[in-house]
Amino acid sequence: MPRNAVGREIPEEIQGKPLRPFQGAFATVPEGRKASPPLKTIRPGEDKVLPSLEEAIRRVGLSDGMTISFHHSFRNGDLLVLKVVEACARIGIKDLRLFPTALFPCHEPLIPYIEEGVVTRIEGSMNGPVGAFVSQGGKLREPAVLRSHGGRWRAIECGEVHIDVAFIAAPTADPYGNANGMWGPNACGPISFSVADSWYADKVVVVTDNLVPYPAIPAEIEQGYVDYVVTVDRVGDPGGIATGTLRITRSPTQLRIAKLAADAVIAAGLVREGMGFQAGAGGISLAATDFIAQEMRRRKVRAAFAIGGVTRFLTDMLQEGLVGAILDGQAFDAQSVEFLREHPRHQIITPGFYADYNSRGCATYMLDFAFLGGTEVDLEFNVNVNTHSDGQLLHGIGGHQDVASGAKVTIITIPTIRGRIPTIRDSVTTVTTPGEVVDLVVTERGIAVNPRRPDLREDLKRAGLPVRTLEEMRAEAERLVGKGKRPVFGDEIVALIQWRDGTVIDVVRKVVGWE
Amino acid sequence: MELKREASCGSDERSDAWVSVRPADAISVHIASKTGPMYEDRIREVVEGTLRTLGVTGAEVEVREQGAYDHVIRARLLCALKRASENGEAFRRPAPIRVAREGTPKGRLRRSRLYVPGNNARVLAFVDVFGPDCVILDLEDSVPPAEKDAAQFLVREVLSAMDFGDTEVWVRINPLTRGGREDLEVVLLGRPHGICLPKAESPVEVAELAGILYELEGRYGIPWLVWIMPIIESPKGVLAAPEIAKASERVACLAFGAEDYTAEVGCERSWEALLWARSGIAAAAAAAGVQASDTVFPDAEDEEGLYEEAKRAKALGFDGKGAIHPLQIEPIHRAFAPTPDELSWAKGVVAAAEEAERKGLGVVSYEGRMVDRPVVLRAKRILEMARAMRMEVGDAA
Repeated sequence: MPRNAVGREIPEEIQGKPLRPFQGAFATVPEGRKASPPLKTIRPGEDKVLPSLEEAIRRVGLSDGMTISFHHSFRNGDLLVLKVVEACARIGIKDLRLFPTALFPCHEPLIPYIEEGVVTRIEGSMNGPVGAFVSQGGKLREPAVLRSHGGRWRAIECGEVHIDVAFIAAPTADPYGNANGMWGPNACGPISFSVADSWYADKVVVVTDNLVPYPAIPAEIEQGYVDYVVTVDRVGDPGGIATGTLRITRSPTQLRIAKLAADAVIAAGLVREGMGFQAGAGGISLAATDFIAQEMRRRKVRAAFAIGGVTRFLTDMLQEGLVGAILDGQAFDAQSVEFLREHPRHQIITPGFYADYNSRGCATYMLDFAFLGGTEVDLEFNVNVNTHSDGQLLHGIGGHQDVASGAKVTIITIPTIRGRIPTIRDSVTTVTTPGEVVDLVVTERGIAVNPRRPDLREDLKRAGLPVRTLEEMRAEAERLVGKGKRPVFGDEIVALIQWRDGTVIDVVRKVVGWE
Repeated sequence: MELKREASCGSDERSDAWVSVRPADAISVHIASKTGPMYEDRIREVVEGTLRTLGVTGAEVEVREQGAYDHVIRARLLCALKRASENGEAFRRPAPIRVAREGTPKGRLRRSRLYVPGNNARVLAFVDVFGPDCVILDLEDSVPPAEKDAAQFLVREVLSAMDFGDTEVWVRINPLTRGGREDLEVVLLGRPHGICLPKAESPVEVAELAGILYELEGRYGIPWLVWIMPIIESPKGVLAAPEIAKASERVACLAFGAEDYTAEVGCERSWEALLWARSGIAAAAAAAGVQASDTVFPDAEDEEGLYEEAKRAKALGFDGKGAIHPLQIEPIHRAFAPTPDELSWAKGVVAAAEEAERKGLGVVSYEGRMVDRPVVLRAKRILEMARAMRMEVGDAA
């Protein structure tokens, strides 16, 4: 089997569909033209509002084997995916391909529908139980496909994934289909994940629990793309947006990692007027951002912009004047949703603006530095964010690949031991992000610098920071916890991990035993 | 060894293990591991190996663990077996040495001493990474009475299994009248560098501790002198500090504990209210030629407050300060760093001393003033500290 540029065996095709192996972060030169959705028209006075999801499903002609898409802006509070799949099951539709941006633990009730054949394929991130279920193998008709935020946009845009019907949960919508996530009793922040879906899908259904008189503004989703509007009792639970990680960590180990990561950024001279950064919502990332904010105050410098997952930590920085603008693709708490409504420098962006490989500009390319996490890293600086060391597929890619590709300095923050499992491996279980776009790995035991960045190594050494090799840190951790057994993988491929350009960077295989 | 009853030890906290043992005709081991099959065989080896070493032939062992390291599982098992056999003596045999450790110089750098609760496996899991000058594994205030034995075993196993690198490792035992001797019999098997004696009030206790250490060093084959750090935390202690500091050659450092002191005196925890005690301890330490380490700063969030207090302690003559959170280490080290003026003075004095030695002069003078030996030593100490902090020192010795 041929190996790709990170040494992973990638089959040439799966079920007759050819796979392109990953060849390097920026190796692909796109060809051809964008996909085109069908032309449509409407006459004045036509009514788009339908009384139920079932009715909408019938009207759009949803049938066996089709692809339906969703956004995950409600994260673990999503209600729509299950409502639609249940309605399809009642009507007797089967063999659906699910194309959500992401699934969460709240989607565990999908599992019986997968077992019954209502859903037979999934392309999208799977956080938690659905991922664990798919990992068992033999559950889906084709391997699942995981893409980054930018990668999903690209896949729709170039026609790699054709959406038959896009269902868009809208906290506010008007009868003509204009919709946004900023207003309404269940506001969730941006719903811009669905913008490409609305542009390219054959049919578009906006689902809302807050139907307002025309026009619903701002129109994140525009009337010209929307076929039908359906009202439901409740479109989603904004309580599920906050993931429980949204506080600065108190763990001494995590704080140490955060401090080292911030010190590295400072040593690299990146805390300066006009900088741009990405702030994650994990405990380490928030703490590191807080240390950076302290340094900004000391130096009296201001960031030009920050990209989220947006939390109140970022909106507080905007309010304080430490950040000039927030580019917001996804809300991670209630305060950031509120802020979106009130602050002109807090703007919604689409995944296309953020991260599309086949575009003439990504916001991530403007980043000076970014803190990212991972489940494992390896001696080549490759990062795994999808699987655990036991081979279970439990997380999506999110913006990891997009941000790592773009930021001038990409920093992976990761403890060397999680639970008892050492995170620095000879070779990661799954390559999500290749070492060529990772600059620093920061653990509680020190900072490893990618040999591609001797300049950073110099900066860090000069600042007296503990520069270590991944090998040294791995040895220390393994001396404490031992190596542990590794899973043995069979031939069956349960998921493909795409690089953001559409090539395959790795595959996830079914675990068949333990060594 | 025979088990008399059912007993258990440990918790379901992260990085900890709960182990129960009960008498049985043969050995059986049930394991529920958070990491699934990844470490199950290894855990079984740890359990069976420990039972074999102790000559236990009949026991039903249940292990429920949350990512605990081998040494934590062993500690929990040992304590459960001790409780079940009601035979503490059987556990006072040298454990196999797993990490290389050497003795430390009496006058080494001790800017920071980080307290870590001795029965908290979650916190102890990463205790080796924070880089204080001294880490103090605590058996006293942070451990409830019913868990003292559990903490003894856990601290002993942590000491045996973890490599603390350049950090000196200490154990704070309970007062000798309240279980301190038993603490020593267990934890010295882990070969710490030193013992902190809490609530020290008289030279007699220190001498008694020194005697026990002498005895146990021999019995357990510890090839170095285990240091003593008496913690002065009462007015009586402050008054006896000069004698306490001189009570044994093993006393390397006097530490101040302000919490109990303020309670007993009925004073505020303000700089002024504690000034007499601090000055007394610093002077007593200096008179005995040992170090002094200031009390902890209780607010882990207030980095500036900590830094200021540490600077003032340094100005009073203290060599270091206690820490209750790893994030306090850096500000403490910063506060105790030599200033540029101190550094250039120290370089000059040391250079003058070397010059005098080369020329065979008995008297050292620097900038026209005679310099005594203690002054040279102080200058050398400043340079040593600067080097430890990776400051530019140049070629001066």
